[in-house]
Formats: sequence, C-alpha cells, structure tokens
Amino acid sequence: MSLLNISCKKATYLISKKEQGKISLFDRLTLWLHLGICSLCKRFEKQTGFIIKQAKHTHTEEKLSEEAKERISKVLDSSY
Amino acid sequence: MSPSVQATDWVNKYGDILYNYTLKRVSDKGLAEDLVQDTFLSAWKSRDTYKSEASEKTWLFAICKNKIIDHYRKKSTSNVQYAEVDTSSNFFDEAEHWTREDQPNEWGINYHQPVETKEFYGILDFCKKKLQEMQQSVFVMKYMDDLSAEEICKVLNISSSNYWVLIHRAKLQLRKCLELNWINS
Repeated sequence: MSLLNISCKKATYLISKKEQGKISLFDRLTLWLHLGICSLCKRFEKQTGFIIKQAKHTHTEEKLSEEAKERISKVLDSSY
Repeated sequence: MSPSVQATDWVNKYGDILYNYTLKRVSDKGLAEDLVQDTFLSAWKSRDTYKSEASEKTWLFAICKNKIIDHYRKKSTSNVQYAEVDTSSNFFDEAEHWTREDQPNEWGINYHQPVETKEFYGILDFCKKKLQEMQQSVFVMKYMDDLSAEEICKVLNISSSNYWVLIHRAKLQLRKCLELNWINS
C-alpha cells in the first residue's frame, strides 16, 4: 500500500512526465491515486497546464533600437 | 541595389521581429541585440548561397533559432550548477508536502480560457526572466520551441533526470511568481 503512496513533491514531478508522455504505467497509477485525494496538486496541474498553454503567445512587442539597427547595418556592410 | 541599401533594408524589415522573438527567449536586451546581430551577419555572409526555397523570413528565423540554441549550449557548459543551487524556495516540507507558504492557492479564473491582457504577458515574461538560467533554457526550448526532451538534453549536455528536475523547478517557480504578481496584485 505504501508503495502506492507518493508525496506532493513526487506527484508534481510526475505531472510533467505525464504531460510529456514519458510516464510509466506504475507512476501513472500512483499519480492518479494521489491526484484523487490531493486538491493542492490537482490545482498545481491545472495552473501549470494553463501557464504552458499561454507560454507560446507573444503579446508584448519590443522594438530594436534605431542605434542598434544602424550599428548592425554597418557591421554587415563592413563584412561585405 | 548597392549593398549598403540592402543591409539597411534587411535590418529595417526583419530587425524588430527577430529581436522580439529573441528577447522572449533570453534574459536581457543587450544579449538579444547581440544574437540578432549574429543572425544577420551569418545570413549576410551566406546570402549568395541561399536558394529561395523557403522565404527569406523563414530562413532568417531558422538561423536565429540556432543562434539562441548555441547560446544555451555555451551557457550550460560554462555553468555547472543545476537546479539544486536554487535556494529561494523549497516548496515542500520534510515530508514532501506543500508548505503553507508555497502551496497553490485558488486563482479564480477559467483555466481553459486564454487571457489576453498585456498585463498578464508582461508578468509572464518577467517571471520567465527570473528563472535560474538553466531552468529558463529548458522551459523555453520545451514550451516555446517544442524541442523534444532528448534534443534538449543533448544541447545542454544534461542527463534525463536533470532535465526533469529543471522542468519541475521551473514550473514551481513560474507558478508561484505568477500567483504573487498577477493574482495577488
């Protein structure tokens, strides 16, 4: 029985393995059991899943400064 | 067209998008500028051999991606310490349960709906940059650029278990940072 009990630290570690499809059948079972009784880890799974989904969006627009543009153009020219 | 005009045109046309892309993946502006400059320089030197099977933009982005990965590779070889060094927070107590301080609190949002506020993305960027370097490299390569775990381990020259520890720490840190700065603010 204690074999099937895992800690929150282990569970949150396994969540990434599960998400990336790299979890063993046994670990999958212990994680499933843990998430069934631990609302904090369940919440961690939801929130980090949300963060990952957002990670690819790029909303801020930063511009290269005019000085940098000029400098890079000069570097290109001098390497010609 | 004189080469000078061509150089300026290129930089004006693609400078901002390459810079914006790079800045999302490295921690500071100076470094992002250097990587963009390197990208242009490599492209510039090989522009005669470049056959336009792909668009110019796609080609430049491919070079830029490689420059960023090269940067991560160099960083990882010059930087032998891993996530264990990270002592800012332990997250778990001796029994490996969440500490009260670091446990996830309810955010009161719909997790299935993307947020589209500038504020959120600003905070996400800030939190990403606060990650320890190796955690940041792993997070960006995995979750922004879709590299496989195997590829990432190869680039950074780390073991598979190191990779999982870095992913784990990165998520713990990011989640906490977002909760502090976005939800609680």
